[in-house]
Amino acid sequence: MERPIFQPVGTPVEELDTPALVVDLDLMERNIQTYQGYFAGTSATVRPVLTSHLCPQVARRQLAAPGSRGVAVTTVGEAEVFVAAGFDDVLLSNQVVTASKIRRLCGLATQANIGVAVDSSANVAQLSEAAAAAGVELGVLVEIEAGMGRCGVSPDAEAVALARAVNDAEGLNFRGIMATVPGPTGDDPQDHARQTRQNLQVALGGKDLMESAGLTVSEVSVGGAHCHAAAGELPGITEVRAGRYPLMDVRLQAHLPELSLAAMVLSTVISRPVDDMAVLDAGHKATGPDHGRPVIQGHPGATAARFSAEHGVVELEAGAGEALVPGRKATLAPWELASCVNQYDYIRAVRGGKLEGYWPLSARGRFA
Amino acid sequence: MIDSQTPLPGTPMQDLDTPCLVIDLDALDRNMDVIADYYRDRPSKLRGHSKNHKTPAIALRQIRRGGTIGGVCAAKVAEAEVMVHGGVPSVFITSEVVGDLKISRLCSLAGQAEVMVACDSPDNARALSQEAAAQGVDLGVVIEVETGLKRCGVQEIAQGVALAHEIASLPGVSFRGIMSHQVISAMPDREDRVTEGNRVIKGVIDLKDAIVDSGLPVEIVSTGETWSYDVAGEIPGVTEIQGGSYLLMETHYDYMTEFSYAAKVLTTVISTPRPGIAIGDAGTRAVSTLRGMPEVDGRPGVAVEAMDGDHAVFKLSDGATLNVGDQLLLIPSQQDAMVSRWDRFVGLRDGKVEAVWDIQARGCHN
Repeated sequence: MERPIFQPVGTPVEELDTPALVVDLDLMERNIQTYQGYFAGTSATVRPVLTSHLCPQVARRQLAAPGSRGVAVTTVGEAEVFVAAGFDDVLLSNQVVTASKIRRLCGLATQANIGVAVDSSANVAQLSEAAAAAGVELGVLVEIEAGMGRCGVSPDAEAVALARAVNDAEGLNFRGIMATVPGPTGDDPQDHARQTRQNLQVALGGKDLMESAGLTVSEVSVGGAHCHAAAGELPGITEVRAGRYPLMDVRLQAHLPELSLAAMVLSTVISRPVDDMAVLDAGHKATGPDHGRPVIQGHPGATAARFSAEHGVVELEAGAGEALVPGRKATLAPWELASCVNQYDYIRAVRGGKLEGYWPLSARGRFA
Repeated sequence: MIDSQTPLPGTPMQDLDTPCLVIDLDALDRNMDVIADYYRDRPSKLRGHSKNHKTPAIALRQIRRGGTIGGVCAAKVAEAEVMVHGGVPSVFITSEVVGDLKISRLCSLAGQAEVMVACDSPDNARALSQEAAAQGVDLGVVIEVETGLKRCGVQEIAQGVALAHEIASLPGVSFRGIMSHQVISAMPDREDRVTEGNRVIKGVIDLKDAIVDSGLPVEIVSTGETWSYDVAGEIPGVTEIQGGSYLLMETHYDYMTEFSYAAKVLTTVISTPRPGIAIGDAGTRAVSTLRGMPEVDGRPGVAVEAMDGDHAVFKLSDGATLNVGDQLLLIPSQQDAMVSRWDRFVGLRDGKVEAVWDIQARGCHN
């Protein structure tokens, strides 16, 4: 666990011990209003993906704002944490295939409305047997592969057969279709929109086939924060699973510039050995740069260039980074939120530049 | 705390919920014995780096098996606290510690065990001294010298000599010695490692000689890591080696064939959506891909092609097949980046759980 040095509510953010994961609550609340507001007047809602931030306090604020319904997680362990925290509509947007985990999932279904994704008939049989034995009902969505190259079936006769198998299985409630679509690549926004719409059409193709076969597809759940615009235009989509929009990261901000970077890693300069380099106390263990390096804020000419385990090396252009001397703070915006949050046990919640509280990342480390 | 994720001793590996961070205890003990045997009759000893495993149970196991100085290195004050509270009698923090709050915690720890810290500037030395004197403790200070890592450290010999005298003159702190840290990219040939190790460590020895010539004794010369444990160990004047990766191992050090892969992530195939492809339930959040994709243990024809946060995409070749429910073991490209994402190790011997160790210093970034 993190061992934060206790600092009382009201402590100015620049006095917080580091490294620390800091969230600006005003920005977070505005991000939630803005993003969930995109769904006003559409037939779709947001299902917050809690794997992105792992924090019940953030999740509660997402559900309290208009435009959202239910939550999504990736692992049984995360579902256990959020059901225990009172969340009663949880979609596990992944395959659960081992006897032990299916038993845990059925245990949760006695306490909350649980959904799960399937992509094979053998898995449908396993889930049905366990749910019937436990006397519970699991909601099931057939996962359609829509560009991720990961789990899921193609929207063809196999998908229809799978949906029918779910529909006919004891203990299972066929809810519809789930798909995840890849994030934007390249720089052309119109190109992104076209790619996303094409991928979403793949998922909707599955819905049409199933409905032609006489099945009722009440949900089409698509994953990816960037789906919001297309979802409004494609009425068949009932929900968008999105997780990063409250706290944000550099990667998503490139495509949703109207949202603000609310989560930052606060760090301290521990050495300025030469003029063109400053060393921070936050390395890869405190920033999780697996998918991209964090970006230092507010120091033109400074680049967070190298991350070893416990050190971040900031390279400075001539004359830059005058303020980056030992003891001074530096703020890093994560490139990818989930990999960064994954390294911490607490969010330092900050409003108006002052500490408002420590929010536990209750689902951290629940990989299984 | 009730924790459904802690398996009972005797549980077979195939019954573990995945992903799960496991340690092959035979491999771990073999790695510990390589170190114990190597340093047994040498004047230098290992001060194992606890930042890699973050677990007092593992630190104390190596100390008991031998080859060590009887203490550990740590990267952070919070990590050092966990080691001292866990019973490790001597801890050397190999990073500069800056800021009043942390220095206060550091000095408090120096009242409970032998504690030393790295330093590379006179301002920092004075801040350490002021708090140590105020708390009435003796804090050991070790000067970090730059030898090619391009990170922290004094840059020139004269700077190091001046800093040593500054520290020696200050109350509350003792000048204990010097340290340097090196990282190399893959250097499979041992002769290259000997040449490179001698070259970089010469910079440390030169500083030591200069400080001694100026009239100050240098008790500790701490340098070397896994790749150079048997190079630094041969160089007269080196007293402590900071190795850490050797214990759990990683593919990055695959050429260090005397060490065995000990820490792995157990994963389960959750989908076989298309021919030639299988999906596993462990992704970058659980494994880390900072130095590349993990390798699949003992399954020819199965390779990790890609990873997202919670999935691995396995590519199958040469007739290899995988079924939903199959378990695989992933060998990390970088073990400490992997370990720092987990709360416990599940220790296995002969395919069964023998010990479960909390990774107590996980998340100790401060």
